[in-house]
Amino acid sequence: MIRTDDARGQILRSIRESLAASVPLDAMAHAPRRHSTHVPPGPSLQAPDLVPRFTEQLSAVGAQWTLVRGEVEAARALRRILSDAGAKRVAGSDAPLVARLLPERLTDLSRDELFICDAGVTTAQWGIAETGTLVLESARERSRLASLVPPMHVALLSTSRICASLADALARVDVASHAVTLITGPSRTSDIELTLVVGVHGPQVVHILLLEEEAQ
Amino acid sequence: MTFEGGVRAALADVQLRGALRQATTLFGDRRGTALASVPDWEGARERARAIKDETLLHLDRYLEQFTSSAERAGARMHWARDAGEACEIIGRIGEVLGARTVVKSKSMATEEIHLNAALARRGIEPIETDLGEYIIQLAGETPSHIVVPAIHKTKAQIAALFAEKLGIAPTDDAAALTAAARQALRRRFAEADIGISGVNFAVAETGTILILENEGNARLTTSLPRTHIALMGIEKVIPRFADLEVFLQLLPRSGTGQVLTAYQSLLTGVKRRPEDEGPDELHIVLLDNGRSRMLASPVTRQSLACIRCGACLNACPVYRQIGGHAYDSVYPGPIGAILTPQLIGIERAAHLPYASSLCGACRDVCPVKIDIPALLLHLRAQVIEQRAGKSRLLERVAFRCYAAVMARPRLYEWTMRVARILRIVPPLPAWTKWRDLRPLAPRSFREEWRVGLRDEGVS
Repeated sequence: MIRTDDARGQILRSIRESLAASVPLDAMAHAPRRHSTHVPPGPSLQAPDLVPRFTEQLSAVGAQWTLVRGEVEAARALRRILSDAGAKRVAGSDAPLVARLLPERLTDLSRDELFICDAGVTTAQWGIAETGTLVLESARERSRLASLVPPMHVALLSTSRICASLADALARVDVASHAVTLITGPSRTSDIELTLVVGVHGPQVVHILLLEEEAQ
Repeated sequence: MTFEGGVRAALADVQLRGALRQATTLFGDRRGTALASVPDWEGARERARAIKDETLLHLDRYLEQFTSSAERAGARMHWARDAGEACEIIGRIGEVLGARTVVKSKSMATEEIHLNAALARRGIEPIETDLGEYIIQLAGETPSHIVVPAIHKTKAQIAALFAEKLGIAPTDDAAALTAAARQALRRRFAEADIGISGVNFAVAETGTILILENEGNARLTTSLPRTHIALMGIEKVIPRFADLEVFLQLLPRSGTGQVLTAYQSLLTGVKRRPEDEGPDELHIVLLDNGRSRMLASPVTRQSLACIRCGACLNACPVYRQIGGHAYDSVYPGPIGAILTPQLIGIERAAHLPYASSLCGACRDVCPVKIDIPALLLHLRAQVIEQRAGKSRLLERVAFRCYAAVMARPRLYEWTMRVARILRIVPPLPAWTKWRDLRPLAPRSFREEWRVGLRDEGVS
C-alpha cells in the first residue's frame, strides 16, 4: 500500500534539504542571476495590418482561408468549401454562429458517428497573426472533438478577434476553460524518414473562414 | 552490450549513420532558420533560464501552489518518489477502473519509469499513438531520439513491419503508411479506457498543464477516454501563465525548427459541466525519481531546467555518429549523458559522462543555457571519486609526477631529452586505443626556437 501523503511529505522535505545544502555552494559560485522576467513589449501591429499578416501565416503553415463579409456571404462560402471537399456528413459545434450558417449540421454525435464524419465546423475564439494560429476555448463552445476527429476542420473566425502575438493571445484567453487548444495548420508528422505527411490523427485540411463585420 | 560495443555496432551501420546525418542536419538547419524570426533570441534564452532558476530555487513552494490550483480545478494529484511508485500509482488507477487498454501520447517520463512493461504485467495493454512511437512499439524497440523516436528505421523496414503486423499491402509511400497507422489507431482510441500523456509545462498559478505535439494524438489521448493520467517530473512547473510565452517561443524552434507545433493543449482540471467534452477524471502524477537530489548544488541543479527539446542531440558530434541506442540510456545524447547518471546513479551509468568530446556545441544550442560540458566534468569527477583501488592509486601517482615535472622547467627539459633519446612514449592505452599518438619530434620546440634565434642573429 502506498501512502502518497508520505511521498508528498518526503519529496518536499528532500527538495528543502537539497536547496538548503546548496546555499553555501550558491554563495561560492556566482549568485543566481537575477534577470528581470518581465517581457518587453514588442512592436505591436496595428489592427489593419493584422488580417494580411494572419492570412500570410495561415498559408505558410499549410492552412487554407477565405475572407468574407457578413453572414450571408459566409453561409454561401461555407457551403461551397464543404461541397468542394465532397463533405456530406458534417459535424458542428454548439456555437450559435455555426447553427445560423449551417442549420443542417450534425450535433450531439456519438463517438462512432463522429468517427465517420467528413468534416467538422466550429468557431475559433481568437486568431494569432504572428503564427497563423487558432485558439479554441472549451468554456465558450463544444469544439474539441469536431475540430479534431473528422479529416477536415472548418473554423469560423471574426477578423476582430485576431491578436497580434502569442503573448497577446495568452493574456486574453479565458483560463476558466478546462481545455484551451491552439491549432496551427493541419495535423502533421515527419516520423517516417522525415517525409512530411499531413493528416495523421487530426485533420488533413484546415480551412479558416474569416468574417469581416458588415459595414453599418 | 557495453557502450563500446554499442558504439562499434552503430558506427558499422551505414544506413543508420546516413539517417542520422540527414535528420540531425535537417533539424539543425531548420532550427537556425526558425531562430531568425525571434527578434531577441539571446534575451529569450536568458529570460527562460531566469524563470527556471527562480522556480527551482523555490520548487517546494511552486509545487504546492500547482497542486492546490490543479486540485481546485478538479484534478487529483499523486506524488511518486521513484519509478516503481509512479508505475504502482498508475497501475492502481487502471485496476480500479477495470481498464483493459490505455492509449499513450509521447512521453519521455513514461519511458523513464518503464511504464509500458509495468502496465502489461497488470494485464493492461498500453498502446503508443505517436506515429514514431507506434512504429517502435510494433517493432519491440525503444526510441533513439527524443523528438523523432523511429529515426533509425527506413521506410522499407516500416513497410515490412506494417505488412506483417497490420496486414496491409507493402508500399513505399510514407502517406499510405501513415494512413494505415491512423486507421489502426482509430479503433484503439475509441475503445481505450484511459489516456496517458506527459506534460511539457505545468503552471503553478492556474494548475494548467500544457502538452505540445504535431499529430493530434495527444489531443485524442486527452479528450476521448474517460480518464486522463498525466505524468510529469517535478521540474516541469513554472510560476505564471504568462511565462508560457517565452517557452513556446523556444521549445518548437529548438526541437523541430517550427515556429509553433501544430497543437498546444492547455488543460486545467476536468470538465465543468456534464455536457462538456473531455475526461471525467484527470490524475496528475508528480515524479521525483532522483530529481530533488539535483537541487543540492548550482551545477547539478541546472539539469532540471531542461525542456526536452532535443537540440543538443542534433548538435552533438558524438550523437550524430552513433545515434540514441548506443548510449544505452532512456535519455540519449548530451542531455542523457548528464540526466541518466543523476537519475539512476553514477555507478550504473559511469560510461555516459565520457560519451562526449566536450566541444560545447550542446551548450551553444541549449534554449535554457544549460552548461552541459561543466556537468559532464562534474560527473566525471564523481566517477573518479568512486573508483577505488589500484587504478585510482596509479592515476594519483601519475598525476603527482606530472605535476612535479611540469612545475620545474629544468626537470621538464631533462625528462623530455631522455624521453626523446630513448624514444619513450607514455603508456596511455585509453588514449592510444582510439587515436594515434605521434612520436616525439627529434628536437623540441624550445630547442628549435633557440637555434632559430641564433640563426637570425647570424644572418
